[in-house]
Amino acid sequence: MSTVRLLQAMSLTKRFHGLQAIDDVSFELWQGEMLGLIGPNGAGKTTLVSLISGTLEADGGSLFFEGKPIDHLAPYERAHLGIGRTFQVTKPFPRLTVLENVAVGALFGFGGGVRDLKEAREQARALLEFTGLAHRADQQGDQLGGPDRKRLELAKALALRPKLLLLDEVMAGLNPSEIDEVVTVVKKIRDSGTSILVIEHVMRAIRSLSDRIIVLHHGEMLAEGEPNTILADPRVIDAYLGKRRA
Amino acid sequence: MLLAQILLNGVLLGGLYGLMALGMALVWGVLNIVNLAHGAFVMLGGYCVYFAFAGLGIDPFAALPIAFVAMFALGYVLQRYALNLIVRSAQLNTLLITFGLDVVLTYLAQLAFTADFRTINPSYAGANVTIFELTLPLLRFAAFIAALIFAALLWVMLQRTRLGRAIRATAQNLTAARLYGVDPARLYALTFGLGVGIAGAAGGLYGMVSQVTPYIGATLTAKSFVITIMGGLENPFGIVLAGIVIGVIEALASIYIGPTFTDVISFGLLVLILILRPARSMRTA
Amino acid sequence: MLRWVVPLVCVIALAALPLTGDDVLIQYGIDALLFATLAQAWNILGGFTGYVSFGNSSFYGLGTYGTAIAMAQLHWPFGVGLALGALLAVACAVLFGIPILRLRGHYFAIATLGLSATLAAIIANLDISGKNIGLILPLTRADNAFYEEALLLLIAATATVAWIAKSRFGTALLAIREDEDAALVMGINTTRYKIAALALSAFFTSIAGGIHAYWITFVDPAGAFDLTLNVRMVIMAMFGGPGTVFGPLVGAFVLSTVYDVLASSISTAAALLFGLVIVLAVIFMPRGLWDLAGGFRRDGARYFLQNIRAHRL
Repeated sequence: MSTVRLLQAMSLTKRFHGLQAIDDVSFELWQGEMLGLIGPNGAGKTTLVSLISGTLEADGGSLFFEGKPIDHLAPYERAHLGIGRTFQVTKPFPRLTVLENVAVGALFGFGGGVRDLKEAREQARALLEFTGLAHRADQQGDQLGGPDRKRLELAKALALRPKLLLLDEVMAGLNPSEIDEVVTVVKKIRDSGTSILVIEHVMRAIRSLSDRIIVLHHGEMLAEGEPNTILADPRVIDAYLGKRRA
Repeated sequence: MLLAQILLNGVLLGGLYGLMALGMALVWGVLNIVNLAHGAFVMLGGYCVYFAFAGLGIDPFAALPIAFVAMFALGYVLQRYALNLIVRSAQLNTLLITFGLDVVLTYLAQLAFTADFRTINPSYAGANVTIFELTLPLLRFAAFIAALIFAALLWVMLQRTRLGRAIRATAQNLTAARLYGVDPARLYALTFGLGVGIAGAAGGLYGMVSQVTPYIGATLTAKSFVITIMGGLENPFGIVLAGIVIGVIEALASIYIGPTFTDVISFGLLVLILILRPARSMRTA
Repeated sequence: MLRWVVPLVCVIALAALPLTGDDVLIQYGIDALLFATLAQAWNILGGFTGYVSFGNSSFYGLGTYGTAIAMAQLHWPFGVGLALGALLAVACAVLFGIPILRLRGHYFAIATLGLSATLAAIIANLDISGKNIGLILPLTRADNAFYEEALLLLIAATATVAWIAKSRFGTALLAIREDEDAALVMGINTTRYKIAALALSAFFTSIAGGIHAYWITFVDPAGAFDLTLNVRMVIMAMFGGPGTVFGPLVGAFVLSTVYDVLASSISTAAALLFGLVIVLAVIFMPRGLWDLAGGFRRDGARYFLQNIRAHRL
């Protein structure tokens, strides 16, 4: 395990109109690791990812990336630093082609991206191959079916050449063989040096992917630790199933 | 003129403005349609009441429901058979189509009614009451009260009736509302009809305190925009209040700066508000 | 290579139009060319980023008055006047754009609406701009010169849009239009790109205003900051095809012709029919003529039904 702290969250809080969505959440993500983030629906997982990507601004606490504070950086600045995310509800650019969708990431990603359109397209094409979308390169973004949309989200985020990749339920709605495919791809991404924060409900995927897991419940950190310990923790099971009747 | 008198005049006019803006806000908030033809419907409502009064001798206040119903019917048909067809299109398209509608309605009005200025002048038009050295024109006061009553009725309808609940549900989540048995086509048509009916009633009131020509629509649409944004889309009380504020500002500006500036001031205010304190829902970043 | 043959032929034909000596045609031509430029300039922001500006009439007015003040009050040459107008317009675009471009959709449109009214009122009160009476510019050369200048401007504007469509800049604009939140997390500084687009839009719009001012040799606040101008340029761009290179041109020329033909034959009803055309166009061809041309070739009459089905409640 690396000893370089890539991401550090300290006492993050976020309110929405009276609902405390994130309540005093602190954790660390080490370089090269795959950190799983689980929790029942409504726990605040996507909110947390949005706080990290800059889509939302925290009400309190602080965020550090590679040791530097990023709290007041806009989402695009965080992309330039190397933070990439997928959206749980996929957000393809509807009337751009799949290739163009991914090329956007290459054009504006890490360090400001590349300037040359041709180079961006080549990078995009390579990523489409990697995620299995090459045959859909010329289709419009809004014409893809469910699993392909998820693949596109992933390809777009990868086009940013991120140091930290935030995956928000990329496996939702996939059948078991598609899930296995995605797990393989995600592992390859991690092996190439990208650190990953992965939100999932698919337990066996989380178990096989994660080096560590943190658990969110009602916006608070419930537990963190090794996958097998966490997934057997009665508090975690209770959170998912509701309180067991005595 | 006494400052208090100016303020009073402004408040009385502002009540009408608030009602007018409520009509636009209803359509905007529920259907996400910014109705550029809103002022044209106000204008048509004004003509309705004018002709009911001048042609049939009906008291203008009694004619208000007629204007409401007539405009409601018009709005219902328009939404049901034209606007419903573009509801899921880009927002700009609703702006464009209502603009086209505005052009059509304005010119139809010009053809039918000529460009003559019309005023609704019932026998009690000039009556005043003096309170504390302030002159309270009775007609304007009655119009103000009528506007508040209409606004209150709208609010009660939205909060307490089944239809009102259906409308509010649709505003929040069309898909969910559908699952509860709301027929979106009819509901949208009803809502638009309602918004336009209110515009018509406000138009009738407007005709009592000012003049009606086929061309008053554009300024009134703009004014309704400003008031709706100032008041807040989801906030009917805020809108009526904002209407009153605009009325007061107009009255003040009219006396101290000059009548040509009234529009500029409302717009200037609007721009300032949008720059300095836009609600989060209005911003992208 | 072949793609450029048709536009090239059109340009040559248009440039040769004054040779016909038909004054009415030339005047119609100048008007149509200027309008086409306005539509194309609007297209830069509106068509590519999806931000509907009702403030372009402000830039037009600033271009008009910049040129008028320079020539009538300061006795500077035409070129300098145009430059002054452009400078004012671009400065206004950037200054105003910074706070306003943070707003979403409708709110941005409405904020820009306020700009014209406010500017008109300010101009109507300054001595240097001739207050409400306006200014008179030096009378000059034949219409032919204005015609060719207007054509040149349109070519410049269209060339710019053509470049945008194929550039990294343009990709950013399109991403903003398609999904601004996604564009943000993908590294696009959306505000900066929107301001740049608005500034470009303001530039071309103001030059068109300047040419128009010198052509008709008279400016006044109501005419310079006329909001209906803005609505017309929006409709022309939308009718023709927003976000395309040639759409706004086609839209502008078609609608100008339609309007003139209607006005000369049916006069009062012309505006009425114009309004109806708009309503029907939004229902049946919401993506403009350009898209219609392609779609009709592919799917025939079903194109219209598809549009309705995709956008109806």
